[in-house]
Amino acid sequence: MYGYLIRRLLQFAVVLLLGSIAVWGFTFALPGDPATVLLGPDASEAELAATRDRLGLGGSVVEQYVSWIGHAVAGDLGSSYYSGQPVVSELLDRIPATVQLAGLAMALTLLIAVPVGTAVALWPRSVVGRTLQGYLTAGLAVPAFWLGLLLIIVLAVQLRWLPASSDFVPLWRDPGGALTATILPASAIAVHTSSVTARFLATSLGEVMGKDYIRTARAKGVPERDVIRRHALRNASLPTVTIVGLQLGGFLGGTVVIEAVFNYPGLGRLLYTAIGERDYSLVQGGVLFVVATFVLLNLLVDVFYAVLDPRIRLT
Amino acid sequence: MSGGALDGVVRDGNAHSGTTPGVPDRGAGQPVLRLRDLTVEFTTSAGVVRAVDGMSYDVFGGETLGVVGETGSGKSVSVLAALGLLRTPNLRRVSGRALLGDVDLLALPEPDLRRRLGRDVAMIFQDAISALNPVQRVGHQIAEALRVHDRALSAAAARTRVVELLDMVGVPHPGTRYDQYPHQFSGGMCQRVMIAMAIANRPKVLIADEPTTALDVSVQAQILDLLRVARQETGAGVVLITHDLGVVAETADRVSVTYGGRIVEAGDVTQIFTRPRHPYTAALLGALPRLDTASDRLLPIPGQPPDPSELPPGCAFAPRCPISRGRALCTELRPEPVPDGGGAGASACHFPDEAASLLTARPDGEQAAPVDERAEPAGTRESAGAPVTAGGPAAPVLDIREAMARFPVRSGLLARPSAWVHAVDGVSLRVPAGRTLGLVGESGCGKTTLARLVLRLVEPTGGQIMVDGDDVGKAGRSQLRRIRRRAQMVFQDPYASLNPRLSVGDNVAEPLRLQGVPHGRRRLEVADLFTRVGLRPEHADRLPAQFSGGQRQRVAIARALASRPGLLILDEPVSALDVSVQAQVLNLLADLQRASAMAYLFVSHDLAVIRQVADEVAVMYLGRIVESGSVRRVYDDPRHPYTRALLASVPVPDPVGRAGRRRVPLGGDVPSPVDPPSGCRFRTRCPLAAAVCAEEEPPLRLIAGGHTACHFAEQTPGLKPAERTPALKPAEQTPGPEPAERAAGQEPEVRG
Repeated sequence: MYGYLIRRLLQFAVVLLLGSIAVWGFTFALPGDPATVLLGPDASEAELAATRDRLGLGGSVVEQYVSWIGHAVAGDLGSSYYSGQPVVSELLDRIPATVQLAGLAMALTLLIAVPVGTAVALWPRSVVGRTLQGYLTAGLAVPAFWLGLLLIIVLAVQLRWLPASSDFVPLWRDPGGALTATILPASAIAVHTSSVTARFLATSLGEVMGKDYIRTARAKGVPERDVIRRHALRNASLPTVTIVGLQLGGFLGGTVVIEAVFNYPGLGRLLYTAIGERDYSLVQGGVLFVVATFVLLNLLVDVFYAVLDPRIRLT
Repeated sequence: MSGGALDGVVRDGNAHSGTTPGVPDRGAGQPVLRLRDLTVEFTTSAGVVRAVDGMSYDVFGGETLGVVGETGSGKSVSVLAALGLLRTPNLRRVSGRALLGDVDLLALPEPDLRRRLGRDVAMIFQDAISALNPVQRVGHQIAEALRVHDRALSAAAARTRVVELLDMVGVPHPGTRYDQYPHQFSGGMCQRVMIAMAIANRPKVLIADEPTTALDVSVQAQILDLLRVARQETGAGVVLITHDLGVVAETADRVSVTYGGRIVEAGDVTQIFTRPRHPYTAALLGALPRLDTASDRLLPIPGQPPDPSELPPGCAFAPRCPISRGRALCTELRPEPVPDGGGAGASACHFPDEAASLLTARPDGEQAAPVDERAEPAGTRESAGAPVTAGGPAAPVLDIREAMARFPVRSGLLARPSAWVHAVDGVSLRVPAGRTLGLVGESGCGKTTLARLVLRLVEPTGGQIMVDGDDVGKAGRSQLRRIRRRAQMVFQDPYASLNPRLSVGDNVAEPLRLQGVPHGRRRLEVADLFTRVGLRPEHADRLPAQFSGGQRQRVAIARALASRPGLLILDEPVSALDVSVQAQVLNLLADLQRASAMAYLFVSHDLAVIRQVADEVAVMYLGRIVESGSVRRVYDDPRHPYTRALLASVPVPDPVGRAGRRRVPLGGDVPSPVDPPSGCRFRTRCPLAAAVCAEEEPPLRLIAGGHTACHFAEQTPGLKPAERTPALKPAEQTPGPEPAERAAGQEPEVRG
């Protein structure tokens, strides 16, 4: 078990290192001095000097990277060209909103995917099964931004049930308000991702239902409901956990299009605007955060694998 | 068919008191499970297939009913259908009755049925490792069987009871084992767990579906003993479903023989084996290789087992029947089971009295298959190697000296090899032309690795292997290709070893194509090869999927023969085949060898098959040869305790005198080849082990005309092994992860 975890941690460190090098290196791909690239044409000499110092531009390539990553780890990612604010505080402003949207979207995804995937796997030929399969195909085919627009038109503009867009309402301050503010973008995301997840679950569950140990459980007299809950779902969840981890990583990286459609103040929109404004400091900091989150989530998925399947702990 | 016909078949009145003393006569005269006219149909692309066609039988409390038949005879499908465990989407209809006491299981709604499963009727499945949930602790899985039927049972009480059960079925350290997972158990241990699970609620009926099929003989003997104890403990009626006549003869009180979805014969076990009243039963017995007596030639049942989608209108066995002789009655009218005069058995044959004559008429080579004649011209074609007269000293075709194969066990952060699996550890063998060396041993002993070493499919770590004088280990690329042309391999699984996308003809032609034989001549040669192995040349364009297992193995043999090898390496070539077909393939191999003087290295776990085919035998244990010599020497005068234990573990297909038969209790499993015991590797399971065995590794010594690696080889014949104690408790083992024993023989690397 520990060997497995340590190996995974080492892999995590290596991937993170390579990812950060890529993020750091992109300033060199643009024309001009990295400090000017990051700060833009209007920067003052003092700002430029501070940034050059942070980037260690005088030293060798290795020294430059070490200087940059050292500052990054210490929470210094420079300042935004546009607002002049430190990049870290800009990011920290947006991260709670993104986490809240991602969390709700994932909750909705699972809430839809688990029952739908299970039903499709258990009764593929029934009316229910076929209908749900139709939903899965539609969910995959419909683009999330289009569904978002549709939701806005129907639920916000015509019926006026929910706001088309709103500021970030933290869940811990006003749960009801937070839910009304986040539910529309979360649903627009979840319809698509739940279709993907449900498909994975349906395939692996269908396979597991044919296994010998399911027959054993039935022969023991375990009621069918418990056969599925206790024996089948846990075995079938492994491939699903992978896809859920990837999806959650995607959500946390900011669902750029959806945040733009709903004018949601999350990380995605921040990055989207930053790119438009060539605010490279902010882009660099944001992408570094996204990469780190993604790799970390994958590590968590691996750990969760080991919890779910004892055979993995031994390898 | 009328269920009533078998209704009248009351079991032999003294079956209990006479043959199985100590069995509680619970519910005497009252069957605990009655199948009546059970019919199971599937919808397939070929139309409706009736896999079970009106099957009826009774099981009484405290007795063992053996249901024996070949693949597709409906023996397993019938019980799975009766218990509602058949879940394939193409299941069309299950009809008839499955009476548990007075309750018809087929008429029960699902939740009511589940309440009885595991409580009143429990099942033990084949391949226990995959029948256990891999992500649940073993103890919890057994406890679930208890708690699902007794909601009031507390978790702690269930745990206590499960530990008791584990102890009862012979799982050492039950307290520790409770919290382990199935992958930490060996196959035999998993089957013990399954049995504990099945008897947890003291069911009235215990159904064991091929419970020992995937297990080694020594473990099989332990499990069969355990089943016997389980029956005594619970007083349950046991249905033992198997393809193995030996297992039936050892354990059953009564027997039902299935063929083509029906029961063709039922009766007392002694009567079935000594005076069969159905030609299929008699023919099966004739086709079976025997451990006790070597016959010159097996009597295979011609043809293939019937395809349930196209059963003939008359008797399903008529096309293969040796006594039907095309009689109109057999081909037109389906025979119903008719009780015999004594009321102890029934036979679904129009001429039941003619069947027994098949047993007495065991001709030796008289009924030689037509293959024999066809093979003749092939022999003359073989101009290079003139047949060597048997017994004459000949240069060995295969000469293995101190061969060694080790695989690294990788562990730790950097996956460095931390230990080595000694799969083959200093083995020397020679096989002359025209002779067969049988290599026998349990799974994980390294026999398959050794076979692969010969063609260098596995890189040797040491030693020398010579094929026809060429060193396989030193051969370069092109030379290795030439060697592989002369030494060909036939694999165990004919389903996996043929390319499914190529026609069988192209499969066979592959070696010729590689040699650059032009297309036209290839076709001719393929046709010739097909004739030699008893296949119809006009079928060459079909795909492997259109052939049965036995036919596919013929195709695989034809492919091996294509490059005219002097050496055939046969790795378990018949273990995936049914008995009747197995005999055909064994006879074919014998004929081919007689015609072309090929040398065979025949690898098998089946001691009876080896006795039938081999001239010389080598017994392998944990990577080393422990005993070798002529068939006669090894089987009739075994000097190594391991050989003796193996031979004693094999179920003999002869129920007469089974109570008096002595069993050498060989406990436990084969130890890990990663860390083999010091000195003699067998000492941990040996009944004779002494201090010297741990210190000194016994060399192979010439004893009584054979070679035996045992310090006590001189004394073994005189030593009486401990009297028949049921091999319930295996040797003490350290708890903890059990190394993957099977991996040693199959995978080049084992991660630890």
